[in-house]
Amino acid sequence: MASFLVRNGLILAGLVLVPVFVGEFWAYQLGLYFLYALAAMGVGLIWGQAGILPLGQGMFVALAAYLAAYGLLGLGPSPLAYLIIPAACLAVALLGFVFAVTIFRGRLEQGPSFSLITLALTLAAFQIATTWSSVTGGFNGLRNIPGLPGLDGFLDLYYLIAVVLALAIATVDYLVRAPIGALWRAVADNERRLAFFGYDVAALKAVAFGVACGLAGLAGALYAPQQNLVTPDIAGFAFSGDLVIFAAAGGRAAVLGPVVGAIVVGVLSAELRGRFPWWEIAIALFFIVVVLRLPGGLMTLFAPLKRLRLARSPVPRPSQAPDKPRIATPLTVAFEEVCVRMGDVTILDGLSMQTGDEAVLCVIGPNGAGKTSALNVMTGALPKRGGRIVIDGVDVLRPQPAAVARSGVGRKFQTPSVFQKLTIDENLAIALWAGRWRGIDLLLPSLFGWTTPLLDEMRRRFEFMRSGAKPASDLSHGERQILELSMALLTEPRLLLLDEPCAGLSHEETAAVIDAIRWARHYLINLRIIIIEHDMELVRRLADRVVVLHQGRFLADGSVEEVQGNPDVRAVYVGGTR
Amino acid sequence: MTDVLFEIDRLSGGYGSGLVVRDVSIAVGRGKAVCLLGRNGVGKSTLVKLACGFLRPAGGTVRMAGREITGQQPSDNLSAGLTYCPQERVVFDDLTVAENLTLMRDSRRLDVFDPFFRVFPRFAERRRQHAGTLSGGEKKLLSFVRGLSEGGSMVVVDEPTEGVQFENVVRMADLIQSYKQTGMSFLVVEQNLTLVERIADHIVIMDHGEVVHSGDAANVARDKMIAYLTV
Amino acid sequence: MESLLITQAINAVYEILILAVLVLGLAVVMGLLNVLNIAHGEFVMLGAYCAYLVQKAGFPYLAAVPAAAIACGAIGLVVERFLIRPLRYDPFETLLATWGLGLLLRKLVEFGFGRGFRSVDIPVSGSISVFGEAYPIYRIVLMVISAAVLVLLFVWYARAPTGARIRAMVGNPVLAEAVGIKTRQLARNTFAAGTAWAGVAGVMIAPLTPVEPFMGLTLIVNSFFAVVVGGMGTVTGLFAGAGIIGGLQSVLSAAVSPNTAYLAMLLLSILFLWQRPRGLFPRS
Repeated sequence: MASFLVRNGLILAGLVLVPVFVGEFWAYQLGLYFLYALAAMGVGLIWGQAGILPLGQGMFVALAAYLAAYGLLGLGPSPLAYLIIPAACLAVALLGFVFAVTIFRGRLEQGPSFSLITLALTLAAFQIATTWSSVTGGFNGLRNIPGLPGLDGFLDLYYLIAVVLALAIATVDYLVRAPIGALWRAVADNERRLAFFGYDVAALKAVAFGVACGLAGLAGALYAPQQNLVTPDIAGFAFSGDLVIFAAAGGRAAVLGPVVGAIVVGVLSAELRGRFPWWEIAIALFFIVVVLRLPGGLMTLFAPLKRLRLARSPVPRPSQAPDKPRIATPLTVAFEEVCVRMGDVTILDGLSMQTGDEAVLCVIGPNGAGKTSALNVMTGALPKRGGRIVIDGVDVLRPQPAAVARSGVGRKFQTPSVFQKLTIDENLAIALWAGRWRGIDLLLPSLFGWTTPLLDEMRRRFEFMRSGAKPASDLSHGERQILELSMALLTEPRLLLLDEPCAGLSHEETAAVIDAIRWARHYLINLRIIIIEHDMELVRRLADRVVVLHQGRFLADGSVEEVQGNPDVRAVYVGGTR
Repeated sequence: MTDVLFEIDRLSGGYGSGLVVRDVSIAVGRGKAVCLLGRNGVGKSTLVKLACGFLRPAGGTVRMAGREITGQQPSDNLSAGLTYCPQERVVFDDLTVAENLTLMRDSRRLDVFDPFFRVFPRFAERRRQHAGTLSGGEKKLLSFVRGLSEGGSMVVVDEPTEGVQFENVVRMADLIQSYKQTGMSFLVVEQNLTLVERIADHIVIMDHGEVVHSGDAANVARDKMIAYLTV
Repeated sequence: MESLLITQAINAVYEILILAVLVLGLAVVMGLLNVLNIAHGEFVMLGAYCAYLVQKAGFPYLAAVPAAAIACGAIGLVVERFLIRPLRYDPFETLLATWGLGLLLRKLVEFGFGRGFRSVDIPVSGSISVFGEAYPIYRIVLMVISAAVLVLLFVWYARAPTGARIRAMVGNPVLAEAVGIKTRQLARNTFAAGTAWAGVAGVMIAPLTPVEPFMGLTLIVNSFFAVVVGGMGTVTGLFAGAGIIGGLQSVLSAAVSPNTAYLAMLLLSILFLWQRPRGLFPRS
């Protein structure tokens, strides 16, 4: 907390002191770039944190600017005019949120289509702003917009803008360091994995976009009184592109990056454009270089500053995480004649199998038997073409990953799937928060201190997890497998799906994992586990029951010995007559 | 001392930072077939991808006729005489059977493939069919024929009999035997003992990313192979 | 009235064919290589400037075709080497990098030629009577050339060995390497072919539109969204996209207003991007 206040206090002080150094006129000019910085911060948030490139933020700035213009023209000298700013900001933020949640709902990993939608929208907005003259004043825009009442001269408005910018920076700073910031970065890193923990990924993305639009709205609302003029230019894709360039040039992932980018690039451009015709060529080249080599942008120059500790950094106090609501009965799954096809290939060919009383069910079978596909279709990662999947007695028609996770299914994927760019601690925290957070918890940094006995046990067993500040990408393949397994266990699922938990692990690591699974089995009383494995060592030591799949169908089941002695099973593994 | 054509020497590697394959050594003599056995997930396919240039090895070397080819691009390895048939996505689904076969040839004529069509008659009927519509076994056959017809001296095949009918497995074995006579060498990753028993001169068994057994085919008992392959 | 309808119909066919020709380079690059080249319009612009220079230098107009192809192809090779390949052909990253590239090209041309419009004289002037209405000959020439080129190109892609190798590489890059296709070179050459073709398209439209540094911006919108709506990576997709977007623009422009046509096209694109992000006929 202390370092947060010091950091942002210094920024506020710096901004307020600027006119002392550059004079009144320059302060006024800078005001405009501060507004660009506000909008660019929004781009930095949605892009640098959540990994979604917005190509049309200009539209939201323009919308707020036009709204504010009307408000100011209407309310004139009344002090109510000040309400316009938060009103326009909220209106645009809400619009952005609703828009984003509609587009993102039900879709994972859309690729660049959202970016292209925002591009199309901003093109349309520009067109409408230019042609709908009766409302927008057409190409020439709305003119003679009064300033905010009570502010005289260049400086007053500057101070208002400076304070708003400082507050916005503080807000973004806070959000980035809050649990929600970690979740946004997890979205950018591995959306699918996050959905499988039960998080509403669409809502998370939409909140980020809503905040970004709120920042754009603030910028637009203040633009009207600052420039006293609102034209369609700001709705166009040139300005939207500029915002992206500011964020990229400054450093999209850093809080101050877009601010630095907007001010440096913006001011330099305005000044040097006239004097050096090749200035814009230089900017374009610089942008390309940033995309190719310097994703951290200009802020990488300030990287050494990061090590400067202005005050004590917040260390989260350990606290017991709230319990998850417990359902006493174990989760049952039944497949009835389930068929899955991908194009011409039949993956599951009338698969019928079900869980019983066993705690650990091992699913085995040769390549292409459909083991992973069975898990995929059960958790909604593959569409089902026929048959029924019954989870807990309920016929699940179209499973959604997040809903399945929330009903108590945990999953470890075949290839280790963790949040590579996040630290080990953040990875574990995200797994821990799933299903336990309430209300505004995701805004409270104290969540980083949550712990459970299970987490303590995992940290005790696996040493590498104690260096929690390391990024997960630094881990070896085996460590990543174990991390993902721990994360799945942390959600205290009723049914745990493990897909080749020991693939690529050394003997020692395999033994450690088997031990951990056994411990978890006894600690989490209701836990049922389905394991897909090829390592017979593991199957022998853990399985209560074994199911053999072959060519997308059930072949045999029984205890380990029964299955081993089954001639059909042997034949399938070593070939033979068909 | 048999003439070693293809030599994998203490090869290690994996995907990303993980070591899935550790210190594996295999030598294939001219005109011989080495079969690589092991359950799923032990690293057979990874080993073969490392050896043929699809993955960068973390350590070890690969030599072809004495010349080192470690880490070279697969298309360059092809010029050196190394043919590769993958385990998954074995044909070009969007191309017809005929296009799959003649893709890298100068001429589109199919008569060069007549000997193969004679061995696999059903297959010959499907010349103009899109390869994506073939069954899994038929795709494997197509991939196998393509591999043999490339005329390389060293053919590496990953699970050639997966989904293939018994009669055709026998025919594949016969083809391999006759090509061995002409000096072509084979490294075959397999789990199907029908094929292994007919063609293997030397057997290598892998488990947990390492070689656990390596010996002449005559000296490896069927039971031992089964023990390593099954549940 | 009837002749007016016929003229409208011919116009629509013209718009569709021209759009198909403009989009072709982008369809190749986006549909086959997954590269979102938002600077595509700038390559068309460069081709148009080539045509202007060739004409100004007194050479026959036809000479502009190889000139533009070579110039834009060469730039394409440089872009592939220094922008596309380092970014591993990733759609997002290439979108960003080519945004910067487009900016760069626009500014360079502005620096060299100034912002003003250049005009390129129509190489084949005059009009002939089509169903009683006068129709410019040059447009008819373009339609014929476009149709011929499109047909030839697609036959080539479907039949020729290189076409088969491109299809193989696009569908299964790992196996392509295994059978000996030098995928890096083939991808590079395909990209350069896409940009070269954009240049040639620029030569074709130069006499009909004001040639200025920002002309690419208006073109890219239609082109991009035509690829998105039609579907990436298939011949049918290209025709569907050009047909729908070009046809819609042409009909609505005439029936209502160009403004409405533009907005309708954007709305349609948004709907497609939302519900069918892969388009109508995507590569499976």
